[in-house]
Amino acid sequence: MPGAKFDLAYVFDYFPKLLSTLNVTLTIVGLSIVLGLGVGFLVALPRLYKVPVLKRVSEVYVSFFRGTPILIQLFLIYYGLPEILKLANVDVTRTPVLVFVVLTYSLHAGAFMSEMIRAGVAAVDRGQVEAAYSVGMTGPQAFVRIVLPQALAISLPVFANLVIATLKDTSLAFSLGVMEMTGKAQTLITVGQHFVEAYLVLAIIYFVISFALERLFRLLERRLLRHEKTENADRKRFGRRGSPSLRGLLAESASLPKGGSGL
Amino acid sequence: MKLDPSFIWTAFVKLLSAVPTTLFITFVSVLGGLILGTAIALCRIYRVPVLGPISTGYVAFIRGTPMITHLFLVYFGLPAVVDGLSASLGWSFRSVSIPYIAFALVAFTITASAYMSEVVRSGLLAVNRGQLEAAHSIGMTTPQALRRIVFPQAFAAALPNLSNSFIGMLHGSTLAFTVSVVEINAKAQIVASTNWKFFEAYLAAAVIFWGLTVLIERLAGALEKRINVYNRGGVA
Repeated sequence: MPGAKFDLAYVFDYFPKLLSTLNVTLTIVGLSIVLGLGVGFLVALPRLYKVPVLKRVSEVYVSFFRGTPILIQLFLIYYGLPEILKLANVDVTRTPVLVFVVLTYSLHAGAFMSEMIRAGVAAVDRGQVEAAYSVGMTGPQAFVRIVLPQALAISLPVFANLVIATLKDTSLAFSLGVMEMTGKAQTLITVGQHFVEAYLVLAIIYFVISFALERLFRLLERRLLRHEKTENADRKRFGRRGSPSLRGLLAESASLPKGGSGL
Repeated sequence: MKLDPSFIWTAFVKLLSAVPTTLFITFVSVLGGLILGTAIALCRIYRVPVLGPISTGYVAFIRGTPMITHLFLVYFGLPAVVDGLSASLGWSFRSVSIPYIAFALVAFTITASAYMSEVVRSGLLAVNRGQLEAAHSIGMTTPQALRRIVFPQAFAAALPNLSNSFIGMLHGSTLAFTVSVVEINAKAQIVASTNWKFFEAYLAAAVIFWGLTVLIERLAGALEKRINVYNRGGVA
């Protein structure tokens, strides 16, 4: 098990080699997020509109995909789907592994997406829909123009988390033999025995991508939420911020909008 | 190869023997992560000079990399460190005698500590600052106030996140199969390949994990209801 001695040169050597498989990783992430959004919408709608039987089905679906590890799901779909399709006389033995991987991640992400969509729609104040109706919008109009934009902004942080989680989960696709970054790292290791270097580079690449994604989503979030007033709700929370000075408090209260109807 | 429903039950019974290993890994990593995570969270909240920024970087790095890279880095990096240390200190201890499961425990504790520190931090930040001030004003010291006033409330606020992280670590423990620890997933692989019935074996594993997850959710829900009794609001 102990590999070759740590050699910094290999770290630089492995960077371009691992980056060459970055596109596979990003393909899996991109496809499964897009497909997952579609699945999520389909699964969320019966629960949002309380469709009798379908509601129950989507509840079980979400519970299953959130309640089992992604690794088990990968194996389950990889080995199980061909057998189920064989019953329907469909032969999928020549389908590339990547299809199964993307399918699994889409179904997995879909379960989380449906919860995200549900929470986002529920978080929009009911009065918003009523106000939309009162100015004469139809149901779909109210949903598309009023509820959806607000729900999107609210669920963006959750969406960002999901994208980053999916990115990190793709590191498990190697267990089915897909040549994404983690798989590439393992082949590099069987050649050179430089375990620590390879995994260090791998970790750094993942970190940089998820860090960049986080920043990107934060910018987007700020842009989508620009209609909301900035509330410094955490000002009075636990933590040491130094004792508040009277001058500071006065300055603060002066900048606050006055109460009343705002006329 | 035909679907064999009765083998699902056979596999299920065989897999039950691996449940304790999975639960052991999960409990140890969550507990270790909670202790480490609390220390990290306190370092960040109190802005401890050197440790604060280090903690922030640590949490960002661990949360930004997949769990499996932590496991592999510990698995392949730790032996070199241990051997180097024991050679320079003249111990007879060698890394070969470390059991596989120890690597999994160390790696998952590291992973859990970063996630737990965020859970603890958000819990602590959810406690109103006035609570600490009130505790100070009646003469408690800061450790007393933290232990008696802040932590119980923070725990109640953090419980949903805590159960989520716990489930996350339960699911993450499946990765231990890569370092030859026989937990549920590894056992499923063994059962599957010896009988050449992959679908049935993994289905049984999925059912076990599903059951465990639902159980944890229920327990956390009940605990949450009990712990939030004080927080019902209103005047009655």
